[in-house]
Amino acid sequence: MREILLVRYGEIFLKGQNRPFFMNALVKQVQRAVKPFDGHAWLHDGRIFVDRFSDMEECLQAVTKVFGVHSVCPAIEMEKDSFDAIADQAVHMMENLNGTFKVVSRRSDKRYPMDSPALNQELGYRILKANDQLSVDLHHPQHVMNVEIRDLCYLYVRVVPAVGGMPVGTGGQAALLLSGGIDSPVAGWMIAKRGVRLCAVHFHSYPYTSDRAKEKVLELARQLSAYCCGLKVYIVPFTHIQTEIHEKCRDDYGTLLMRRFMMRIAERCARKEGAKALITGESIGQVASQTIEALQVTNSVVSMPVFRPLIGFDKSEIMDVARKIGTLETSELPYEDCCTVFTPRHPATHPIVEKVAAEEEHLEAEALIEEAMAGIEIVAV
Amino acid sequence: MQVYLDNSATTKPSPAAANALKDAAEMHWYNPSALYKPAMDVEKRVSEARECCLRAVHATSHRLVFTSGGTEADNLAITGYLRTVKKGGKVLYFQGEHPAVRACMDEARRLGFIAEEIPSTSQGMMDIASLERQLTADTVLLCLMQVNNETGAVQPVSEAVSLRNRLAPKAAIHVDGVQGYLRVPFDFNRSGIQSYAFSGHKIHACKGIGGLILHKSHRVSPLMLGGGQENGLRSGTENTPGILCLGEAARTYPADALPRMAALKEQLWEGIRERIPAAVQNGPTIGTSGAAPHILSVSLPPVRSQTMLFALEGDGIYVSAGSACASHSQRVSPVLTGMGMDRSMADCTLRFSFGIYNTEEEISYTVERIAAQYAVLSKYIRK
Repeated sequence: MREILLVRYGEIFLKGQNRPFFMNALVKQVQRAVKPFDGHAWLHDGRIFVDRFSDMEECLQAVTKVFGVHSVCPAIEMEKDSFDAIADQAVHMMENLNGTFKVVSRRSDKRYPMDSPALNQELGYRILKANDQLSVDLHHPQHVMNVEIRDLCYLYVRVVPAVGGMPVGTGGQAALLLSGGIDSPVAGWMIAKRGVRLCAVHFHSYPYTSDRAKEKVLELARQLSAYCCGLKVYIVPFTHIQTEIHEKCRDDYGTLLMRRFMMRIAERCARKEGAKALITGESIGQVASQTIEALQVTNSVVSMPVFRPLIGFDKSEIMDVARKIGTLETSELPYEDCCTVFTPRHPATHPIVEKVAAEEEHLEAEALIEEAMAGIEIVAV
Repeated sequence: MQVYLDNSATTKPSPAAANALKDAAEMHWYNPSALYKPAMDVEKRVSEARECCLRAVHATSHRLVFTSGGTEADNLAITGYLRTVKKGGKVLYFQGEHPAVRACMDEARRLGFIAEEIPSTSQGMMDIASLERQLTADTVLLCLMQVNNETGAVQPVSEAVSLRNRLAPKAAIHVDGVQGYLRVPFDFNRSGIQSYAFSGHKIHACKGIGGLILHKSHRVSPLMLGGGQENGLRSGTENTPGILCLGEAARTYPADALPRMAALKEQLWEGIRERIPAAVQNGPTIGTSGAAPHILSVSLPPVRSQTMLFALEGDGIYVSAGSACASHSQRVSPVLTGMGMDRSMADCTLRFSFGIYNTEEEISYTVERIAAQYAVLSKYIRK
């Protein structure tokens, strides 16, 4: 008898012939997640199992963060020969609980002498007899004693919900425009959850922003990497583009022009990485550069699809997700990722694409982009 | 070239202090309370360090409680004292106090005292006329810093003591000497104050050690309870490496440090003023008795201090925007706005603070780099 983790997956169930592809990706991700705890994960009989972990709780928490995992159950694995031993273990696992319960048995080994209803009845009886704080409720029980009879027997009560989604890498790759704010890490997380591998592009404006601001962005990237198996961060020197826009262009178009350069550079970084889409943390109307017209202006300079998973979210909803995934605290550190010197006092909220493009003619756009691309620093986290 | 001009944030330990720390870790590591000979030797060394620290401010006939630093010393002086006096009286404090003191004022209010702020003058000094109005017979404690950490303004301690003697003779005076200890001449014996806090890492000792000097007749209640070390005022096995390091730093602090730092401060300001006409020096005029020799506060409008700070960092020059103790908060300094400075000017303010290792050559380089960076950065102003 020993403690193991049973890992249950969600949407992969729906896959048809390419299900092995998704399963292999998921097993790899679980193996990566349990490695720091010396855990060993393998696929058997349609289930992922984890054993040999040094710290079960820590290992369990790590697995709940793996995209594609529906839930994780700390379980007891034991021989199935002696029903009395199974019943004693079930009684032991339920002895400190109170309220209502039921027993749910599954018998994939059809040669086992008792069928599932018989297992439910007999185990339920013994549990009830041993603990007078429990009563049976078959419809809305507070606790469920799960028993699975496979080539071995597995018992578990606790089911820890996991993040869901699809295994990373099964959905292609996209480039995330990552600032130090609250929104972009959440946007990246949401797309990564659908199995998309990420790379990130950050725009650094030294000396208007500091090394601390850069380190904050790398820390956010590290936090994201816990979910999406590591990512490369492209740190793009952006000061010259900002000063050129500041000197040569209309003030109210400043942020829009800046965003157009960011989108173009991000698209080039994405191509270098083999990514096929861009991700931003934009949400309609949150700031002047995120009105529908402004989004059209910034979108029009790239050909890749741009994913904006937060587009319909309120700030408070975004913050709730940021809190849940653990990026909020870092995002709220006070190191600025853009300088107010370059922020227009009265930004255009209903810009017209042609007018903005005409304003951009004042700049040597291609040369500026080339210069920025040449100065990129790549950090793998 | 690397130039460290943030000595009010912390200082590089001197070789003598670092050696004392190493020797304490390797040889003098015994518990000074133990009864055997090596422990007694450590106890003797601790006594010598205490004497060195007291002698530096003419306080040898008074008591010194070693603490974990300036913040704990301020807490012990203020909260520890207020626990011994009748509730309901008034506690006065200078507007420009360090957060270690300001936070104790919240505690004073919770303990049932009335805490009142004394405003600052435009020079960053405590407004003596206001103090005269606010100092009433029911005042139990007056807190003022010796030197303001952002402006270098030396506070009028002796005037405050005279007013206290006349208007509120029962009030105790606590001076936060963290930015003044050894860098501004001070005679505790003659000062008329009751307590004085200081910190080791501001005078080229290590971090984690400081002290509270208490007048021999002044009583405070301990904040840390336990084995009764430090005459019952600060329980916990003594931080002997820190204490021996601090004692050595105090003993070896160079006699000529003050005039040398004052000359460097003047060199830096004159250089900046000559190259950048828009520059403004904040706080008391350089060379006057109100100006500490080691802190220079300068505003360089329209360049935001944070931008200039990062640009100088690229040149190997380390300075501070306002006070490094609170720089993570990135709010505009209440000390500067308290002097009547508008927010945009406060946002362009840098603090240069000098230590015993700075040189004229470093200052010349700093002037050159500030001027060069200013020429570029001042072109970009928010439209």
